Amino acid sequence: MRRGLALPSSHVQYDRINTDYVSVSAVNEGINIRQFIAESYPPEARKQAWAEILAELHLQSVTIDNTTKSFSSVVLYGDRDAIVFSRLVASAQDLVSVPQRSRVLMGLIPTDEDISITGSELKLDVPAGHLLVLQMDRPWTISLPTSVRLAAFTISDALLQRRGAGWVPFAAPRRYTAKGLASVFIRTVEEATRNLDALSSAEWMSLEQFAADLFVTMMVESDTTENQATPGPAALFNRITLVIEKRLHDSELSAGRIARLAGISERYMQKLFEQNGESFTHYLRERRLQRARAALVTPASTRLPVADVAYSCGFGDAANFNRMFKERFGLPPGAFRSHYFSCAAERGGVEQRGWPVKALSSKKAASTNLEVNSGALRDKRPIDTSVQTKYHHLRVAASTVHWGYFSSALIPVLEIGSGDTVEVETLTQHASDDPNLMIVGDSAAEDVFHWTKERKAVDRRGAGPIDASVFGRGAGEGFGVHICTGPIYIRDAEPGDVIEVQIEDMFPRPSCSPGNEGRFFGSNVAAWWGYHYNELIEPIQPREIVTIYEIFPEDGCAEALYSYRWSPQVDPYGVLHRTYDYPGVPVDKSLVEINNPVLRNIRIPIRPHFGVIALAPRETDFIDSVPPAYFGGNLDNWRLGKGSSVYLPVSAHGGLLSIGDPHAAQGDGELSGTAIECSMTGRFRIVLHKKNRSFLDLTYPLIETPDEWVLTGFSHPDYLAEFGMKGQGEVYAKSSLDLAMKDAFRKMRRFLMGNHNLSEDEAISLMSAAVDFGVTQVVDGNWGVHAIVRKSLFQVD
Amino acid sequence: MMHYKLPATPENVHWGFFSKTIKPSLILKSGDRATIDTITHHANDDYDRMIKGDAEAEALFRWTETEKTIFRRGAGPISGYLKHGSGEGLGVHLLTGPVAIEGAEPGDVLEVRILDIYPRPSTNPEFKDRFFGSNPSANWGYQYHDLIEEPKPREVVTIYELDMSSPASVSAVYSYQWTPQIDPDGIVHPTIDYPGVHVDHSTVTKREGILKGISIPARLHFGTMGLAPSEADFVSTIPPNYTGGNMDDWRLTKGARMYYPVAVDGGLFSVGDAHATQGDSELSGTAVEISMTGEFEFVLHKKSDLPGTILEGLDHPMMENDDVWSVYGFSYANYVTELGPNHQYEILTHSSLDRAMRDAFRKLRRFLMGVHKLSEDEAISLMSIAADFTVTQVVDANWGVTGSLRKSIFKYS
Repeated sequence: MRRGLALPSSHVQYDRINTDYVSVSAVNEGINIRQFIAESYPPEARKQAWAEILAELHLQSVTIDNTTKSFSSVVLYGDRDAIVFSRLVASAQDLVSVPQRSRVLMGLIPTDEDISITGSELKLDVPAGHLLVLQMDRPWTISLPTSVRLAAFTISDALLQRRGAGWVPFAAPRRYTAKGLASVFIRTVEEATRNLDALSSAEWMSLEQFAADLFVTMMVESDTTENQATPGPAALFNRITLVIEKRLHDSELSAGRIARLAGISERYMQKLFEQNGESFTHYLRERRLQRARAALVTPASTRLPVADVAYSCGFGDAANFNRMFKERFGLPPGAFRSHYFSCAAERGGVEQRGWPVKALSSKKAASTNLEVNSGALRDKRPIDTSVQTKYHHLRVAASTVHWGYFSSALIPVLEIGSGDTVEVETLTQHASDDPNLMIVGDSAAEDVFHWTKERKAVDRRGAGPIDASVFGRGAGEGFGVHICTGPIYIRDAEPGDVIEVQIEDMFPRPSCSPGNEGRFFGSNVAAWWGYHYNELIEPIQPREIVTIYEIFPEDGCAEALYSYRWSPQVDPYGVLHRTYDYPGVPVDKSLVEINNPVLRNIRIPIRPHFGVIALAPRETDFIDSVPPAYFGGNLDNWRLGKGSSVYLPVSAHGGLLSIGDPHAAQGDGELSGTAIECSMTGRFRIVLHKKNRSFLDLTYPLIETPDEWVLTGFSHPDYLAEFGMKGQGEVYAKSSLDLAMKDAFRKMRRFLMGNHNLSEDEAISLMSAAVDFGVTQVVDGNWGVHAIVRKSLFQVD
Repeated sequence: MMHYKLPATPENVHWGFFSKTIKPSLILKSGDRATIDTITHHANDDYDRMIKGDAEAEALFRWTETEKTIFRRGAGPISGYLKHGSGEGLGVHLLTGPVAIEGAEPGDVLEVRILDIYPRPSTNPEFKDRFFGSNPSANWGYQYHDLIEEPKPREVVTIYELDMSSPASVSAVYSYQWTPQIDPDGIVHPTIDYPGVHVDHSTVTKREGILKGISIPARLHFGTMGLAPSEADFVSTIPPNYTGGNMDDWRLTKGARMYYPVAVDGGLFSVGDAHATQGDSELSGTAVEISMTGEFEFVLHKKSDLPGTILEGLDHPMMENDDVWSVYGFSYANYVTELGPNHQYEILTHSSLDRAMRDAFRKLRRFLMGVHKLSEDEAISLMSIAADFTVTQVVDANWGVTGSLRKSIFKYS
């Protein structure tokens, strides 16, 4: 069937008939969008495709060898003869502009990392959030020091002239800070590049005109505030303020010292301040007070005493600081801080999963929260490697689990070789929903969940700060919730290899609770991170519901036992959990109202599987266990049960395999936020595939069942690279099935072209006729769509 | 019980639109059956295999400088300046019907049971009794603006053969890239922008030996089955909507029962757009489009009889077979109403799986609470652990997510 409506495009064309600058071919092609995403291409084809898409921006990459192997993407929209907007994610490399005979300007806005531009006699740094405008008449080198995200645009002379702006040639690049009109323009470009794929032709046309008008006005009206090629007084003053900013903490700071550092006389410096309507002393005090005000409420330093904040901002005397602070802001610092947090609490109440983006920014600045002592953990091999068996049993205990995060810095709890079999015990983090049924009497579970006023066996739960300085929920902040057994070190596994995890068998963990010995229980929580949470229709709204299930493995089914609404629980450390915001908080059954019976006469067929199978990520931070990504993790696909395998790309030496989040049953979607979470033990065979042709290309978790290949698409396949350091927070805000579908489509196309040697046209026809796309989950931050291709399709010959 | 036959003759078809204004081709009573022939609107992608020698197909596709059997193709304008042709291809499916059911009124539910489905053989002596279908990777396909090989963009038609020996399977015969085609009225079709345009095979280059060694299990089904909506006189067949239509779910096959809310008197059921097979998502824009015949049974459920049945409160299409119930989430549950007077165009820019998933979730929750009398909390727990959400299609403007629940869950008591 067909559904292309040609009519709308004719409609658009009619509107455009009187506009002289829209090429007819662009209209005929419909939405004029071009894109590159590394995931679409086999490795050997990426270089060429990358070069082609960069050429659209008059750029070429000069250090391209390894750049396209990691995550990179470009989306472009627009007409080269007018304006082209693009959004670019690229790993460290140099981009060189190709000189254009027609006059073209390029604008670059790095999103969260600084970049630098080099020309014949000039080197200019462009800090994140600033705009750089280049005339593309000579080769500029744009250095990306690390993986960066950029908003870029090109704008043609022809378009500028149509807007009535004469051409003002300028030799040196111009840099704009986000102030005044430049700020409006920068934000417009950033926002536009974020929404390129969502713009209709009509919307695009008005954006194009609007952006061009804004650009011209900005060029004409605003000063280039920092043009280091011709350092005038303004640039010099700017430099002085930066010097001051870096030394605010130094209580000995004097005008003389600053002048020396800036290489000018003290008198000239004072004069510069006067020209800006300021005095040095007043300026310095104001900056220190502002800094202190921010520091008082920064998550990373909320536990610092006020006096320490004062010292860290260069105030030598706390009493003096208190007085000045009150004069300036109306409240003494202590009162200001508590007022701020009480207001924040009122504003709050909105649940936040994962890192809040603001906290991540300050985390980067402070870098004090990471308690990984990476030096001491360099040697990640377990101590005893003398006995090398082929069969291993990994018991679950507080000492063999990590809770809520992945990290390449973890010390392995077991070393195995390729081909070995390992029986791994796993516990569900939801056992505490009914401790009596799922923990009591089970010494291992009691060990892992042990939490009294005096001692918490597994303190860190999640990738958050260990001092819980963001929300105060508990160590690790519950930014990640899964109890993972491991990591397991696989001998000889190196980055670039692939580890195959075969699930040979799996069985639920029997209850040891007196009176319930040998029975099997699990929990399903309809939690605040569930898909349904914000649109409940029955009272009380919102609410979280825990349903406890009994599992009957012999009959292959599960039945609901009872349910209760979550009521605020106080953990043994005295922290109140109004919602299910921290894992492993033991639920006091006397505080909840039990509903019984529930789901009467309903019997759910079980689909035992492991929600989490992960290798250590390549990033050095602790990584939240909730969003799945290239390294595997919280895949939540019920096809990952007995008889299936998952192939995972290796990022760290030894791979570092962790397993957890066992599920007795789950539907495609995992709508309420959880499955039937039930402790289980699995028997796995682990096979290491050294870099070779068949797996060279694998950059994502690939599931194999006896009959099918299941490819995993995500909203953001490599969210840690795509969003940079803010990824751990941002991925929760930007998940979408539409994006996950795109990723699944691209991965399947690559799979069919690369692994089955089909042409693109064959791959697409086959996908339409025989590949099934389904919703994996809509609750794990990074939403998933999987694509299933039956192996039997290829068995004819 | 009567058993009628409805051949795909020019009097019994309408092309590219649903309409409450068309005179029924057949009027029957609840409980009656009908054998209905359908011919694929992609038959002209390979005239020799899919039309030549087939009197009915030849009649439907007849289009010369002086004669065009089926003049209107689509819900668009039929006079004035026409860019693509009469009806403007705003809706493309060649549908047989409508069938009116005596006594059907708005508020009732019509159940349509698919008793059997079988392909229509080629009658060209050269291909006698073989079955062929076409799969265009078209401009409305999901891949069209995201291609990696040159030339970009491009449309490619792949012709498939259906082998009915057990188990039935489908394999590719050859493919060609679409080239601009001129219709008998002189309009050039640079892309696949109007249905039923004859492809002149001397203008295309055939690629043989494609998809070698690949055999796809057949999933015979009807892509489009639905009733006439009440909101407008002519409604495009492309976006599926609350009265059904272009559902493109391959589970609508033998053994399936579809339930549709009746919007106009008589219901006015039409069927077409048969597929030899399709994956969940129908990625390239089409399935393996083929001509087929179906045997249907029609059961009218009067409004007053609905309470206490699974049809209570049904205001959207629902499917039932021996194993599952399925509800269909759309980007817009009723786009004609929701998107206002310009809905035919608006829906094209509002496609979203995210919206379709929301809609599927809500419909399934309502089904569990209303029909199975579960509390909301029970419904949500059950959906998380036992309901499966799949991508129905991402190419019919009003994108779809299907929510399915196994019936065996409730068999126990």
